[in-house]
Amino acid sequence: MSITKENTLTLRDLIYNSAEEFEENTFIRYKVKKNIIDKSYRQFKTDCEAFGSFIKENISNDRLHIAIVGTTAYHYLTGFFGTVISNNIIVPLDSQLSADDICDCVNRADVTVFLYDSRFSALVPKVRELCPQVTDIVQLDGSPIDDSIYSLDSIVKEYNGKSTNVEIDPKSCTAIIYTSGTTGKSKGVMLSHENLMDNCFCNDNESKVGDIILSALPIHHVYCLSCDIILSIKYGAIVCINDNLMHLGKNIATFQPNKMLLVPMIIQTLLFKINALCKENPTIDKQLIARKVLGDNLTIIFSGGAYLSPNIIKGFNELGIKVAQGYGMTECSPRISTGSEFEDNPIDSIGKIVNGCQVRIVDGEIQVKSKSVMMGYYKNPQATKETITEDGWLRTGDLGYKDDNGCLYITGRKKNLIILDNGENVSPEELENKFADNLLVKEVLVYAKDYVITAEIFPNLDYAEANNITDIKSQLQKDIDSINLTLPSAKTIRNLVVRTVEFEKTTSKKIKRSQVGM
Amino acid sequence: MLESLKELITNYVEVDINDIKEDSRFIEDLGFNSYVFMSFLGEVEDIYDVEVDEQEVLKLITVADAIAYIQRLQSEE
Repeated sequence: MSITKENTLTLRDLIYNSAEEFEENTFIRYKVKKNIIDKSYRQFKTDCEAFGSFIKENISNDRLHIAIVGTTAYHYLTGFFGTVISNNIIVPLDSQLSADDICDCVNRADVTVFLYDSRFSALVPKVRELCPQVTDIVQLDGSPIDDSIYSLDSIVKEYNGKSTNVEIDPKSCTAIIYTSGTTGKSKGVMLSHENLMDNCFCNDNESKVGDIILSALPIHHVYCLSCDIILSIKYGAIVCINDNLMHLGKNIATFQPNKMLLVPMIIQTLLFKINALCKENPTIDKQLIARKVLGDNLTIIFSGGAYLSPNIIKGFNELGIKVAQGYGMTECSPRISTGSEFEDNPIDSIGKIVNGCQVRIVDGEIQVKSKSVMMGYYKNPQATKETITEDGWLRTGDLGYKDDNGCLYITGRKKNLIILDNGENVSPEELENKFADNLLVKEVLVYAKDYVITAEIFPNLDYAEANNITDIKSQLQKDIDSINLTLPSAKTIRNLVVRTVEFEKTTSKKIKRSQVGM
Repeated sequence: MLESLKELITNYVEVDINDIKEDSRFIEDLGFNSYVFMSFLGEVEDIYDVEVDEQEVLKLITVADAIAYIQRLQSEE
């Protein structure tokens, strides 16, 4: 049987169909020290079913909200897909968040089961302290830190061969994925099986059996989940795991991928490195140097998460590597437009609108309608109402236009959200709120300048004088350093501007953002 | 070690090698971003045959910090 849109309505169908179609073919490939380990499609289904059976038999037969913290790994994916194919809801969380923020997301998503990778075991005491509704905790790898925590390793052995045999409604929620909101607090995007499957089948011929994909994106993002993992399962590709961004170069050499999905920050750095090596070795053929950095088999890089400059695309094209730019957002599962291996879109476009996705431009804003559009924000009807129009169009917050060939172009942002070149979305208000209790800060605005997060501050000079603070900039920098310790590294404030005059205000006394910095 | 690190740095960011000093800060002065820094450290591991700790490297602010850290790792080997 082949895997089709008609026979694959849920993630459970996808896992079952892939096990039947690709059997013992490798699904996941990873390194343990110097050994390469392969896990097949059939093994993956068996392990996911074992974990799903454990949840049903041992925890509850009800639909549970299950949080997961970790980085891409076979055990992570087993916990993730074991949860969703047994009709539960997965809540993937950013492992770089502070423990307090993770607990806040756990509580807001009504999570009762907590899964974690052993590298993040320091979270467990905090979850126990701050998340009273969490009744069960599972460690995804190795031996748990105490006897009250379940071990995934033991579970998959004990429940090997069992299956959950559940009926899943394709329209039911399967994941709550947090995304930065424009009002400061992250919002939980509810995605259904139908949303994710619609996006999975929105293009044809994107990959084939045996393609080697090196997965280097963060797994808590839907871009990685949908495009690295779900799409690979659909096509029977081999997903190789990049265990650490620090080792991307080594892992490219080890796994020799023919495709990679990356964010602009990484793509730019790879090109810079190739060019620097070419400059150092002017007598060596450029394409040979490119192969040294990118491996012998790489033919295409898919770019998403943020806008990639056409100059970078041209740079890769000169090396014989295609870069296909796409566009999407968590709320759209995520793909809205994509680049293709077989077709050339205009270099400044952000890809061709995918099948089944309608796009309209309203007051310059790109709005989309498709089965991929989220169910809404979890327990946040107000935010849902602001983001999805009454007639079902998703407001992307991006300004742009489309051409006659169905290609999309971006010209700016309507919403006040910082998009970094690693694809992370940062709410300026969320960072500005961190200064709320700082008496030395009278006014603050956070924005990105050349992708560097900048805090522009007008200090409270009276407070400084009263407290004998003479070097205001140094004190503010110390305060920012403390705030940065609570933030994921990509979201830290890297630049400080101290103002000598107050910010210009609107008539309602709000700071005029458009007048500042950017 | 400073000289070889300076050369390595120019493979990652657009900066004049003569402008790289021991007290240059990776992010603020040399223009590293989080991925460039991780990637740079991956190559440091290979060149100096050390294994860096993901949490500890977050404390490296300047080139001098990196030199001291690499030397410490080498002496611990």
